[in-house]
Amino acid sequence: MPNFTLNGISVDVPEGTTVLQAAKTVGIEIPHYCYHPNLSIAGNCRMCLVEVEKFPKLQIACNTVVTEGMVVKSDTEKVRQAVTGVLELMLINHPVDCPICDQAGECGLQIYYMKYGLHKSRFAFEDKVHKKKVQDIGGQIVLDAERCILCSRCIRFLQEVTGTSELEFFRRGDHSEISIFPGRPLDNQYTGNLADICPVGALTSKDFRFKCRVWFLRGTRSICPGCANGCNVEAHFKEDIVYRLKPRRNDDVNRTWMCDPGRLEYKKANEARLLTPVVRENGGLKAEAWEAALSFAAFRLWETVEAHGAASVAVIASPAFSNEELYLARKLAEEVLRTPNVGFSPRSSGNGLSDDFLIKADKNPNTRGAQLLGISEEKFDDIVRKIEGGEVKALLVFGNELADFPGERTAELLSRVPFVAQVGTNEGAVSLAAHAVLPSASFVERGGTFTNHAGRVQRFWMGFPPRGNARGGIEILVGLANRLGAGWTFAGEASVFRAIARSEAPFAGMSYESLGELGQIAGGKG
Amino acid sequence: MSLAFSEDTRARHERMLARYPNREAAILPTLHLAQREFGHLSAEAIAYVASLLGFTPARVEGVATFYTMYNRKPVGKYHLQVCRNLSCSLMGAEHLIEHVAGRLGVRPGETTADGKFTLSTVECLGSCGTAPVMQVNDDYYEDLSEDKVDAILDGLR
Repeated sequence: MPNFTLNGISVDVPEGTTVLQAAKTVGIEIPHYCYHPNLSIAGNCRMCLVEVEKFPKLQIACNTVVTEGMVVKSDTEKVRQAVTGVLELMLINHPVDCPICDQAGECGLQIYYMKYGLHKSRFAFEDKVHKKKVQDIGGQIVLDAERCILCSRCIRFLQEVTGTSELEFFRRGDHSEISIFPGRPLDNQYTGNLADICPVGALTSKDFRFKCRVWFLRGTRSICPGCANGCNVEAHFKEDIVYRLKPRRNDDVNRTWMCDPGRLEYKKANEARLLTPVVRENGGLKAEAWEAALSFAAFRLWETVEAHGAASVAVIASPAFSNEELYLARKLAEEVLRTPNVGFSPRSSGNGLSDDFLIKADKNPNTRGAQLLGISEEKFDDIVRKIEGGEVKALLVFGNELADFPGERTAELLSRVPFVAQVGTNEGAVSLAAHAVLPSASFVERGGTFTNHAGRVQRFWMGFPPRGNARGGIEILVGLANRLGAGWTFAGEASVFRAIARSEAPFAGMSYESLGELGQIAGGKG
Repeated sequence: MSLAFSEDTRARHERMLARYPNREAAILPTLHLAQREFGHLSAEAIAYVASLLGFTPARVEGVATFYTMYNRKPVGKYHLQVCRNLSCSLMGAEHLIEHVAGRLGVRPGETTADGKFTLSTVECLGSCGTAPVMQVNDDYYEDLSEDKVDAILDGLR
């Protein structure tokens, strides 16, 4: 554990720590562009220059390993002048087109210019070397070559993470630029990360371009609902519209990356939403208030149990729902409806794309959670057989589709059940057939936990209240159960998780506090 | 891909590869071979070199565009490279360049309509003692004057 002094503060760091990393741990910011915690060190942006005692020249903090007794200063006039000079060099050929640049508001050049620059340009606009703007280089990315500061993060990402190496430096001097070889566009499933790691506006997201100024966005910590990997993300939204997902660092799950399909998962929170409870009676659809819709659904379930027995009722849970919701769904089936028919299917109509990095073939965020909560996949097939045999008289379905069934198959199956209630987020084959649609909150509109493929239980947080008249799944389930006489007192996801931790072995001992931001591996069969 | 080295060049390339510690180091000499073989380094030639050495075309393009002696565009039968660095400039290279440009009717970087001459200005050719200097294809012409250049160009017709 070498000890060194940084701006007069004595700091102990593990062997091999760089000055830049050490500074972070004590809250001292050293400006940098090319350094990225999940990429190799390039040392080419020269922004992180610091003074090291006994070294004649300034050193780059990102590639200077702390040694015992080292004395480092990052706040001297000499350092400030050097950093200002480096920044001025980078800005010489920069077009300063911030008003039309998507990066504005989260741009490394803007941030450091305000902190270290504030100089007047010594170059007239006409003197600048101009490069090609708005180049579609494939994937989710647009390249603006003249905004680039040549930090090489994108090049290293494509070499070290995807191994596809589509981008390179071309030419030299102030004509240097990054680009693809003509006709060889970005060809991997992780291109969106390039826009994240680009510290300036050179690589921007096609999907997000010109949609919203970033300073209008607020963010919430979340989990990508696109597959079983459970990449940690931040969801960025304005009012009740989600604009983008950005990966959130979790070195045990996704480092700082996420895949391109996952990045578009936010659209499900915006499009084709079920936003108000709907009841189908006497062949007509009617929007209803929640009280009426819940009472209607609860009454029909009760009525069916009374008339045909508990075994005539079935619950199809969904691995797109949280542990908390799945737990309550199971509890509703077993303890309130007292039916043995509760199951789920991890099959979905997704394309099943998978790789050996982040993309899992299972397109549900919580299949493992459903399994650990003892909800059975075999029971799903069993329930489907019972529906075909006409034995199911009332069905509570979670989600927007039944397994990977085509729409016609779902419609045909559900038409055999006299009463179908749905708890779901988006329009689909199930909502078209349901007699009661109970619209539930999207992943950004509620909190809870998902258990990923490796058994890691991870929290996601509510960003904003449910859109329209939608409600959180927990609230819907409690409403239904209590109308059936359950007397549940759950209020909020934390109270449900406490119950899970008490009664479900794999989750024993866990709490929202212990999960923290990065999650925890479920015990038991793990 | 239609571009490929001749049998002869392929053999030379094989022998050459053995002299380098890794494929990376062989990019430059392979590009030189390609330039000799194909006249200039078209995108197709870059892609061919990349496939020969097992790199992405982008990697090879990056190397090829960093150096100035690789011609990315076709050049004329005679490539006139006139030095414009310090010593040559002191000895009148600027006038020389203007003179050649006027005679051929092209600006530096351009090729004559008949495809015979390409005029380029280059940095130091390493022959300051005999400035001003011009390189025509692989040959140096030194201690130049306008008359000497005229004679050289006449000889190349």
